Amino acid sequence: MKRSFCIASFVAGCVATPIAAQVGRDDAPVLRARHAVSGLQAKVFNPVGAVRLVGWDKDSIVVRGRVVPGHRFYFGGTDSAIKFGLEERGDGKAGGRSDLVVYVPRRSQVSLKTVTGDITASDVSGWFYTVSGDVRLSGTASTVEVQSISGNVDLNVVTPWVHARTGDGNLLVRGEPQDVDASTIGGTLSIASSTILRGQFGSVSGDIQYAASPAAGGIFDFSNHSGAIEFLLARSVSGVFSLSSIIGAIENGFSQVRPIASTPQSIRLSFGRGGAQITARTFKGAIRLRPQ
Amino acid sequence: MTDSHRHLTEEQRHALADGSLPADQLVSAETHRRECVACADDVARIETLMTRARDASPAAPARALDELWPSIRMRIEASKVVPFSPNAIRLESRRRARRVGSTIMMAAALVVAAVALGVRASWRPTPLSNAADTTSLITVADSAHAYETEAQTLLNQLELRRSMLRPETVVAIDHDLHIVDSAIAELKEAIAHDPNNPALRRLLAASYRQKVDLLKRVGNAG
Repeated sequence: MKRSFCIASFVAGCVATPIAAQVGRDDAPVLRARHAVSGLQAKVFNPVGAVRLVGWDKDSIVVRGRVVPGHRFYFGGTDSAIKFGLEERGDGKAGGRSDLVVYVPRRSQVSLKTVTGDITASDVSGWFYTVSGDVRLSGTASTVEVQSISGNVDLNVVTPWVHARTGDGNLLVRGEPQDVDASTIGGTLSIASSTILRGQFGSVSGDIQYAASPAAGGIFDFSNHSGAIEFLLARSVSGVFSLSSIIGAIENGFSQVRPIASTPQSIRLSFGRGGAQITARTFKGAIRLRPQ
Repeated sequence: MTDSHRHLTEEQRHALADGSLPADQLVSAETHRRECVACADDVARIETLMTRARDASPAAPARALDELWPSIRMRIEASKVVPFSPNAIRLESRRRARRVGSTIMMAAALVVAAVALGVRASWRPTPLSNAADTTSLITVADSAHAYETEAQTLLNQLELRRSMLRPETVVAIDHDLHIVDSAIAELKEAIAHDPNNPALRRLLAASYRQKVDLLKRVGNAG
């Protein structure tokens, strides 16, 4: 219970900029609806408006939303491949944002792109791209790839594969992913999932925070330049931690655990039966191990 | 060993031609040479070849060899138990050509490898004592170099597309590029002071990877 509280507090503090809880409205008029097969391929573009995608158990796609003046809605394709979205008219009168709510068959593969619009999706797989919008994904997905220049990303998905990138935005990985490759430039990267078996986490100047119990047999690689790498670990953690920093400090908050090897720039610690292999390296950022 | 009834061996003919025949064989060999026209002609041809080889320019020996080759070839064929047919000779020539080609290619590969190792050796001011560390160092150095090359290509593409991007996007990209480039500059400076540190090179490779990832994301921002 206490541990759950710790992680919840940690997660709550990770996303500095709150992502809009609800994007788009379910009562907006239907813009288009049609039959669609399971495994639908959908390509969606909405430059300034938000998009909320919902995977459902029906064999159809429904698009709801309000198209503001200056925008044009387009929709076309077949039962298995559909392309739709909004484009700004060329008269320069575009103003406001046209939000969309889209229902697709649950195992659909979506390619979604916005510029400033937020993205929210549940039970949808695919590629999600935004320049500055925020991304929040949940539910179950076969694969998830998220790319953002400066937006926040919150991944709370059950999926075998996650690839996520952002710049100054904060990136939070939770849920139940297995293979994760996530990085930021200056934003904080937070990991709060104990199901990860392969994890590659990197940043340049943002902090990396890991608050979970590494899975037995898991392999993790953390790399940072000037940001810190912090491990918030249960006292029952099991794994071998190889930590190295060129000029940054390495702090071991587990005073009862003696290093099995150490040099002026590195330290190697073994916890429990050594179930996971964790490697962390920085140039000048600190590396800290703290018990929960 | 050598008398008037037995021809000179190949070794004796060559030794006679270049004057290296042992003294105990020299008298009998010279006697046979005077009595045997075939051996005398052959020794004379060898002497001619040696003289031409010594006197000719570097490009000339090929011509001399070309002139002598038919008779040498015939002599080799005559000494074989089963003579080759003309077709077989052509096949053998092709095989020899292939062998020569393979040898040349292997030699070229060795030269390239030697040059590459030489470049790396000159790039590394001090050698590492640990072979595993050396391998690791070279690998991560290659990785960083590959990322650097790709980053430069993507940067060129960015410059072409920059005017088509929204101003706020350009600001965000430039800000992130500045962060990554600063990190790369710090790492390069550190590597200049400690070139054999594989951890530094791994960090450099990671920073380049970040830069490549960023530039690829920018490619989708239009």
